[in-house]
Amino acid sequence: MTQPMYRPALALAIAVAALVVAPGRARAEVTVDCEFLEISAKAGDKPAIDAELKPLEKKLKKPPLSTWSHFKLLSRSQKVLAKKKPEAIGLKVGSATATLVEIVDKSKVRLTITIDDAKGKHVVDNTTTAEAGDWVIVVHELPGNEGHLLSVTCK
Amino acid sequence: MSRPTSSPTDLELMEHADGERDDAELAALLERDPDARAKRDAIQQIGELVRGHLELSADAVHDARFAAMWRRVDGQLVSPATSLWSRVAAWFDRYRGHVITGAVSAGAVAALALVLRPGVSDLAGHVDMRPVALRSTPEIDSVDTPGGSSTVINLDDEDGHAAVIWVSAADSDPEAI
Repeated sequence: MTQPMYRPALALAIAVAALVVAPGRARAEVTVDCEFLEISAKAGDKPAIDAELKPLEKKLKKPPLSTWSHFKLLSRSQKVLAKKKPEAIGLKVGSATATLVEIVDKSKVRLTITIDDAKGKHVVDNTTTAEAGDWVIVVHELPGNEGHLLSVTCK
Repeated sequence: MSRPTSSPTDLELMEHADGERDDAELAALLERDPDARAKRDAIQQIGELVRGHLELSADAVHDARFAAMWRRVDGQLVSPATSLWSRVAAWFDRYRGHVITGAVSAGAVAALALVLRPGVSDLAGHVDMRPVALRSTPEIDSVDTPGGSSTVINLDDEDGHAAVIWVSAADSDPEAI
């Protein structure tokens, strides 16, 4: 039979293990689910917006986005962003990365988005704080009155 | 009145009847004494009757009752624990109090660690989505557009806000669009 003096030692060992492990696990669980929509935009006679862009349709019809009438979904991806871990976003045109900087006030997401164009040239590097469910739309104006859009929403 | 010395005693007769005594002197006495022989025969008959009664009583017990008795005996026999799981279970059984004390202590310390650690707002792990009416306008913390310019426009409707970051070539004018 174990002597009674071993009991506090065993308890202390388990407690220390919990102390070391618990905060690490909590930090590792900071993530947000984000949806990325890559859109091409151009002017046209009749408005044409892909059905998959329904969540953005009202905003696409407002200035300055309404300068274009044809919006086509090029790619769509869902990513789970972990805090301070850059995530590559697969695009049809160019490339992008997204990084969750932090969650602010429990309902906002601070996000850094970088985009390179098809030639590898750096287009934009921005950090935005937006409410969960709201959108950040990065518009890259292209020659010929066309646009390349990357829309992001997180929750 | 004393017993004739030539007659065997009752004890000698009982021993003879049980086959425990069979010497020549006693046999000679019995040969000469018909009363002693009758007494010995009576003792033998009573002994056989008693043995026969006990054997019949044992045979009268039903086999099923014996089987039930053996099952009870088997159930009370504890085989030694030899498998790994049995040894682990035995260990926990032996140190149950220690393990419970350790687990409770660990839970208390872990709870304290979770509550007291910095950055508690991140603990939920996921962001809460508020109703559209309660949402604040997106804030642009920084925008860098190498070789170009940017304009930020906020769009809002009943679906929520959208921060539009319009990136143009340096020589174009986004306001003219």
